[in-house]
Amino acid sequence: MAEIGKVRIRIPSNIKRGDVVRVRSLVIHPMEIVQRRDGKPVDKNYLFIHKVMVEYNGREILQADTTQSISENPFFSFTFKPTEPGMLRITFLDTHGGKYEGTAEIKFT
Amino acid sequence: MQEWVEGIKVSRRGVLRALGLLGVSAAAAPFLAGEPGVASGQGNLGSLQPEEKVDATLKRLFGGRPIKDGSNMIKMDLPLIAENGAVVPITVEVQSPMTPTNYVKSIYIISDRNRRPMNARFSLTPEMGAAAIGANLRLNETGDVRAIAELNDGTLLMAKREVKVTVGGCGG
Repeated sequence: MAEIGKVRIRIPSNIKRGDVVRVRSLVIHPMEIVQRRDGKPVDKNYLFIHKVMVEYNGREILQADTTQSISENPFFSFTFKPTEPGMLRITFLDTHGGKYEGTAEIKFT
Repeated sequence: MQEWVEGIKVSRRGVLRALGLLGVSAAAAPFLAGEPGVASGQGNLGSLQPEEKVDATLKRLFGGRPIKDGSNMIKMDLPLIAENGAVVPITVEVQSPMTPTNYVKSIYIISDRNRRPMNARFSLTPEMGAAAIGANLRLNETGDVRAIAELNDGTLLMAKREVKVTVGGCGG
């Protein structure tokens, strides 16, 4: 899984000032599920993404706390309303201390 | 003579066996008793959380606060039948203005039949323009999926939909 932590962000190609933009993001991550041995769940340090943070020009616009009930290679979509051009940054944190970031530039047409 | 040696041997073996048992139990004791304590003491996020029923989850998240029916305000979009429980796309949209004085503070996604029903919590801000989020869930078995929206004045609104799951995704 050399690709772990690869973040992809998709935004519409045509954004006008005042539009509500739908952003879709995806991160490559195994999101380990609870393992069972003899029918009993195993206690260990599972590797999964537990926090997602979305910032626009350094200001936080969305935060998500996630659990193992989110699919492998988690996908998130959300809306936001940019009032000025800038940089959208999505950060994913996992339980083993991993930090994965993706950015997308928002420009008005 | 023979009997005497045999007697020594047996007793020696017995002593060794007793020591061995002691040793094993001494080695196992800290492992069995200590490890879960250490793991929970460190507040490890990835460690196994106890199984929970959905009522207990709602109580833990919201205390005894009343949850209103919000089915006319919350639009949930997810399949009626999920063939693969490992990837169930869901979008939740709350028809509410997103102004600094009146907005949706958070959206919870809760699936009743998962081992841990709390799936995800989204903390929203007025900058989002609209309260709409989407994700892919893992669903363990057929059951209700709830979306609970918390408005900035503390009102809780809930909508739920049943999803039939053909193959469970073994959610966390």
